[in-house]
Amino acid sequence: MWSPVKQTPTCVVILFSIHYVLKAEKLLKRNGISHDVIPVPREISSDCGMAVEFPYLEQERVVGLLSSADIRIAGLYRRDGKDSFQPLFLDNITANAVN
Amino acid sequence: MPPTPAPIYADNAATSFPKPREVLDAVASVLDKVSLSPGRSAHRYSLECSRIIFNAREALAQLFNCPDSSRIAFTCNVTEALNVGIFGLAGMKLYPGDHVITTALEHNSVMRPLRYLEKTADISISILPVSGEGEVMVSELPRLMRDNTRLIVANHVSNVTGAVADIEAIGRQKGAALFMVDAAQSAGVFPIDVVRMNIDMLAFTGHKSLLGPTGSGGFYLRHGLALRPLKMGGTGSNSETEIQPDFMPDLYEAGTPNTVGIAGLGAGVGFVSRTGLAVIREHEQRLCRLFLEGLARMKEITVYGPAQGKERAAVISLRVKGKSESEIAQRLDRDFNIMVRAGLHCAPGAHRTMGTFADGTVRFSFGFFNTEGDVAACLAALEIISRN
Repeated sequence: MWSPVKQTPTCVVILFSIHYVLKAEKLLKRNGISHDVIPVPREISSDCGMAVEFPYLEQERVVGLLSSADIRIAGLYRRDGKDSFQPLFLDNITANAVN
Repeated sequence: MPPTPAPIYADNAATSFPKPREVLDAVASVLDKVSLSPGRSAHRYSLECSRIIFNAREALAQLFNCPDSSRIAFTCNVTEALNVGIFGLAGMKLYPGDHVITTALEHNSVMRPLRYLEKTADISISILPVSGEGEVMVSELPRLMRDNTRLIVANHVSNVTGAVADIEAIGRQKGAALFMVDAAQSAGVFPIDVVRMNIDMLAFTGHKSLLGPTGSGGFYLRHGLALRPLKMGGTGSNSETEIQPDFMPDLYEAGTPNTVGIAGLGAGVGFVSRTGLAVIREHEQRLCRLFLEGLARMKEITVYGPAQGKERAAVISLRVKGKSESEIAQRLDRDFNIMVRAGLHCAPGAHRTMGTFADGTVRFSFGFFNTEGDVAACLAALEIISRN
């Protein structure tokens, strides 16, 4: 099994900081959405952080929850298999200089 | 020689002692069970560290009614937090020619950065005066406000007299200026609501009334307000770019944090929240009242600060007629096993307003774990010392 999230396909969401990953985890837990915190898969980013995986069917609900909690999404992917990712949304990850 | 009595710690305004059992357990558990690099690696220990820090951040956000816990950043103490606040504004919101208002009760961790900017960055400073009882005269604020007042910095509770400043009234009158609060002595005892009090930046420390270990502290920063960070570096986020992240908390938290300290701080905040600020405050104020009542009966002793019956923290500054402050502190420690702090308490301005500069005072500060017996022992010792 390539994902512990029972319903497949899944979504993988990348957030800007581990703080937001844990905030998202708390939100999903509170709303009873099955999910897992996973290392950011190599196939989608070289970032060394964590990402959140959840059932593809919950995509709209999760995006809504994140948005209502002011959690900015860095990248959102559909995952159809262990190494199969398809981008659904990508933030412009040019981190701005402090202004 | 009679046997040495059990030690009494009455220096909680410096660092609280003892700590709740769960703070010790939290610290030991981090050192013992999980590694110490949050947000850096993807293994379970690193994730567990991140969770500990996340939970501490959420607990602090709740304590200060901060709507978004990402607006809390950790530092190693309140001094660092105040330095991030004051120096971080310079060149961002505070420019040459700008005006800052602060109070006569500030600690050196506020006054030294401000005086430095006064000298090097051409900012001007006005000082809110203090009443004879050592209380900040907020009524004077409108008179000091100018068109170019960019920042107001105020100490919530004086570390010298225990006087409580009406920060809600200051927040109400801040106008277009930013409002920074030094909550070193108040966090964990007095209610702080960053929304209701209109606070733009709140600086706190972990090792006093939040009952955490030394080396822990932080600040709250209002949404939309950005400071220049004092340090930049690895954050575990945006690793592909060489530009410091522009989002909180990462912006201000470069480098591996004090995971051990933050774990203890989180447990301390948990203890405070579960016990309740009202219960903690009531206990400390009862001890304070007993102490003040006892002192009032000793004619050789002068107490500084708010009159009896006024709201205050359990921080009591006093002098004994004909005795030097250092001598009293030394005798309390050596002969009675009572630990207090003598001198200026890093707040020379406060002592100037009370007329106790440059010798300072002897400061007793009681915490949640002190008892009425401790207070009685302190009074008995002072009675003996003041008589011979």
